[in-house]
Amino acid sequence: MAFQIESVVGEQVARLTLHGELDSLSARVFQTEIEKIANQPIEALVLDMEDLSFMSSAGLRVLIYSKQKIGPKLAIYIVKPQELIVDTLTKTGLQHSVTIVDQYPV
Amino acid sequence: MMESKSFPGNVDSLDSLREYVGERAQQAGLAKKPTYALKLAVDEIATNIILYGYQEAGLVADFTVLSEITEQALMVILEDIAAPFDPLARELPDSGDLTKSLEDREIGGLGIYLTINGVDEFSYEYLNGKNRNKFVMKIAST
Repeated sequence: MAFQIESVVGEQVARLTLHGELDSLSARVFQTEIEKIANQPIEALVLDMEDLSFMSSAGLRVLIYSKQKIGPKLAIYIVKPQELIVDTLTKTGLQHSVTIVDQYPV
Repeated sequence: MMESKSFPGNVDSLDSLREYVGERAQQAGLAKKPTYALKLAVDEIATNIILYGYQEAGLVADFTVLSEITEQALMVILEDIAAPFDPLARELPDSGDLTKSLEDREIGGLGIYLTINGVDEFSYEYLNGKNRNKFVMKIAST
């Protein structure tokens, strides 16, 4: 399924909704969205992943990039990720650096 | 019987590659979780072939997926004509790397780590001028 992303950027919170499959092609689109908000005083990055059915390490790299680009104080919330994507986050230890939630605001 | 299918060596092929691997997994009767793990592993290695083996080297070429379903397993081989590259030769992230916070992480190595951890067997050989990355998923006996 084709990748789609929608961004809603508020004063402190950027909310990105991801659909489809996130691979090294679509990760470029995801990264471009992160670059757009990188110089804004964002405190929380909310990634709605309910409709994301696949994520490769290219997607993980954008998560790492987000934290490095926006700053260590950035809180990353992942809303409703599918089980197999949670597995990937767990295997790579990234679940310690993000907060997995059922809804946001928590 | 071995089945063979070729894909153009660019990242636009990844979507159809995963779809094809998904079809083969379904024919082999793999469950949802091992199917996803195999798709992820094949996607990760194919991405390396496309970005580093081909594009970085200025090489325009196809890569081939060979696959075979037996009673015991689904075997998939990715074959490419890039310079010899053994993904197993590179150092994998260790437990120290995987517990690092995001801001201290180095970007890289995660794809091969997910590949090796996701499939039942992964091996590499360079044969007749081709890299051959082999993935095996065992079929659970019922």
